[in-house]
Amino acid sequence: MGDKRGQVTIFIILAIVIVVGAVLAYFFIPGFGLTTGLSVENPEAFIESCMEDEIEMALEKISLRGGSLEPEHFFNYYNNPVEYLCYINQNYIPCIVQQPLLINHLKSELDESLQPVANSCFNDLKESYEDKGYNVEMKQGKIDTEFKIKSILFNFPNYELTVKKGETLKFDSFNIFVNNNLYELASIANSIIGWESTYGDAETTVYMNYYPHLKVEKKKQGDGTTIYIITNRETNKKFQFASRSLVFPPGYSR
Amino acid sequence: MKKEKVFLIIGMFLVATIFFITFSSSQISYCCEKTTEGASCQNVAEIQCNTNYKKAPTSCESTSYCKLGTCINSQEGTCTENTPLVVCEENGGVWSVEPAENLGQCQLGCCSIGDQTAFVTQTRCKRLSSLYGLETNYRTDINSELECITTSQPNVEGACVFTREYERTCLRTTKKECGDFKADAGKEDVDFFEGMLCTDENLGTNCGESQQTTCVEGDDAVYYLDTCGNIANVYDSSKKTDKDYWSRIFDKFESCGYDSLTGNANSKTCGNCDYFFGSTCKDYTTWEDSERPDLGNYICADLSCEYDGETYEHGETWCGTNNIESNDKYSPGTSSYRYVCYNGEVTIEPCADFRQEVCVDNEIQIEGSSDTYSVAACVVNRWQNCFNQQTQEECTNDDERDCEWVPFDTDDVVRRGTLSTTTVSERDEPNGYCIPAIAPGFDFWKGTTSAKEVCGLASNTCRVVYEDKLLSKEKIVEGEECLSEEWRLAQEAMCVSMGDCEGGYSRTENYQGFAGQNHSSYNILSEEEFKNE
Repeated sequence: MGDKRGQVTIFIILAIVIVVGAVLAYFFIPGFGLTTGLSVENPEAFIESCMEDEIEMALEKISLRGGSLEPEHFFNYYNNPVEYLCYINQNYIPCIVQQPLLINHLKSELDESLQPVANSCFNDLKESYEDKGYNVEMKQGKIDTEFKIKSILFNFPNYELTVKKGETLKFDSFNIFVNNNLYELASIANSIIGWESTYGDAETTVYMNYYPHLKVEKKKQGDGTTIYIITNRETNKKFQFASRSLVFPPGYSR
Repeated sequence: MKKEKVFLIIGMFLVATIFFITFSSSQISYCCEKTTEGASCQNVAEIQCNTNYKKAPTSCESTSYCKLGTCINSQEGTCTENTPLVVCEENGGVWSVEPAENLGQCQLGCCSIGDQTAFVTQTRCKRLSSLYGLETNYRTDINSELECITTSQPNVEGACVFTREYERTCLRTTKKECGDFKADAGKEDVDFFEGMLCTDENLGTNCGESQQTTCVEGDDAVYYLDTCGNIANVYDSSKKTDKDYWSRIFDKFESCGYDSLTGNANSKTCGNCDYFFGSTCKDYTTWEDSERPDLGNYICADLSCEYDGETYEHGETWCGTNNIESNDKYSPGTSSYRYVCYNGEVTIEPCADFRQEVCVDNEIQIEGSSDTYSVAACVVNRWQNCFNQQTQEECTNDDERDCEWVPFDTDDVVRRGTLSTTTVSERDEPNGYCIPAIAPGFDFWKGTTSAKEVCGLASNTCRVVYEDKLLSKEKIVEGEECLSEEWRLAQEAMCVSMGDCEGGYSRTENYQGFAGQNHSSYNILSEEEFKNE
C-alpha cells in the first residue's frame, strides 16, 4: 500500500516538472514558439497557423453553398442554403444564368470574408512581437486569392512588417498555400451551367468519363430544382450548386 | 359512337379551358431585374419584383437590362451564353448581344498543353498555360474538338543519361525536359536516347530491373519501376526478366492484355488497366482485392458495382423505382430513378417528380461477348396532349408524344350513347381513346394542377334499361354489360391511365362509381334517371 502511494507521488511530481518545463521553454527557448504560432524568423507560419481554420471553414462553406458564403437566392438542401447558379421561375423553358463569372465570384467572396481575419491575425502577430520586446512597424494591405489547379494561394501583397530589437528584420512576403481543388470543381460547375442554360439538363457521366477522379451527382427536387454535387474522389472535397431549368410541372399548370 | 365523339370534344374543350384559365389567371407581366427572392431577370407578377431594382411591364427579352446575350470572362477566357446584361456587367464581365459563335473572343481553337489538348478560346489557352506552368501551342485552323483531340501527340519520351558523382545514371524524361536539364545543369555529358528505357544495357547506366511497381497520376496502368525509381513498361509478370522489355518503351497496345474486355481487372499477372473497360491502378489491399499481384503491390482494381445482389459494370446505368412492392410501375406516388455505377460506387439520380420524367433503359450487346451492357436515361414524359389526339396515327406518333391508343368496343359504344341526338358527322368519328402511355402524377393537394379536371375526363355513363314485370323480378333489356365486372375494369383502367386518378367502384343507389382522390367517376343510371339527365 505504501509503495503504491509513493508511485502516485512520483507521477504527480513528474507531471508538474513536465508542465513547468514546457512553460519555461515556451517563454525562454528561441524557436520553441514555432509550434504554438510565433517564430521570430518566420511570421508567415504564425499567419498561416492563425488563419488556417478560418480559411478551411470559408472554403467548405463556399463550396457547399454554390460559391457564396451567404447565398441570396437559394434552395434549402438538407438545411443548407445552396445558391442557384442558373434559374428560371417559369416552366418549360431553360434557365437564365445567374452567375456567369463563377471563378471571379469565388475569389471576391474569399477575399471579402478573409480580409477581417487577415487583419486580425496580423494584429495578433504585431502584439506577439511587442510582447517579446520588439519595436514593430506594420503596414496592412488587401488579401488576394489566386486559384491554382489543385491549390489556392492566398497572397498578402502590400503587407509589410518591420521588427527591431538590436537588429532589424523586414518581412514583406506572406503567402498561404492551401491544398484545395475548388478551381477545378468550379470549372466543371461552369460547364454544367452552360448545358443547363442551353439544353435544360446536363449528363453527369460525361464528366465522370473525362475526369475519373471526380464524381458528379444530380439530385432532382420536387419543385424542379436540380442539385448538382461534384466530389473529388481522392480528397472527398465537394462543390454543390442548384439549378432550375426546363421544368415540366405536374398536371396542366404554367 | 356519337357519345364517344362528344366525350372527346368535351375533353378537348376542358383541356383548352384549363390551359386558358391557368395561363390567363396568372398572367406574367413584369420583368424584374431582381425578384424579392433574389433571382435575377425573371418574368413574374409585379408584386414579386424587388423595388430597389428595375422593373418593366414587358418580357425580359424586350428590356435593355435583362436582354440575354453572351458574357465574356476576359480573365478566364470563357464565354457564357443565356446571360442577362445586368448580371454579366455587375460581375465584371463583358456582355454582347451576339451568340458566342459570332464573337472573336469566343472563337474556339486547339490548345496543346504538354501532351494534352483542349478545344478552347485563345485567352483560355493562355490561362491554362499559366495554371499548369507549361508552354502552349494554339491553333486556329482546327475547327472541331474531335480533330483537336486527334492532333494531341504524347511527348516523345526516352532515357536522359548523365553522370552524377562519377556514376553514369539516368532519368526517364521527354526530349525537351532532358534538353532543359542539360542547359540548367550546365553539363555537357547529358544525352537523350529516344524510346529507350534507362535499364537498357547498352546505355550502361546504374539503373537496373526491379520487381517493384507503381501507379502513375493521370494514367490507368500499373508500371514497373527500375532501381533508380524511373517508370518502365506496363507491369507484366511474364516479362520481369525479359531483356527486350527492359530496354525500350512499349506502347500499351503492345503490352499484355490490351484486348481484355475487363481491362485486366484483378489480374495477378498484367497491369494494363483501362478505365473505360472498368479497371484502374490502385494499391493492393488484402481485404478489398480478391487477387494478389504476383509482383509488386499494385493491381488493376475492378470498378464494377454490386447492387441489390446484381453486378453492374463500371459505367453502366439502369432504371429503378420507389415502388418495389407493386408490379405497377406507374401507380400514384411512384417515381423513377436512374442508377449509375462508376468507380465501384452506385449513385442514384431521381428523375423529375410526378412522372414528368421517366427512366428508360436498354441492354446493349457487348461486341465479342455474350454479356450485355445497360444504358439508362431519364426522359421527359410527353403526355400533355394525348387527350387531344383523335386518330390512332396521331396518337401513337412517338416523335411527338408518349401516348397509347385504346380502341372502343363498337357494340358497347353504341349501347352507351347517352347523347345520341348529337349531329356530329359519322365520318370523323374516332374509334378509340388516346391516353398517356405512362400516367402522369399530380400534386392534387395544391389545387394548381387541374388534377380533378384531368381525372374527370375518364368519367363515363352507361345506360341500363329495365323492364318491369308484374309478377316476377325486373328484367334488364339493354345495357346489361354496364353492370359487368369487365366494364367496370375497363373504366377503371381508363381512369388510372389519365394520371394519379384512382379508379374505385362503390355501388350506390345510382350505381355511382367514384375514383380515388381525384374523383373520376363512371355512373350507372337506371332508365328513369337516364331520362331525367
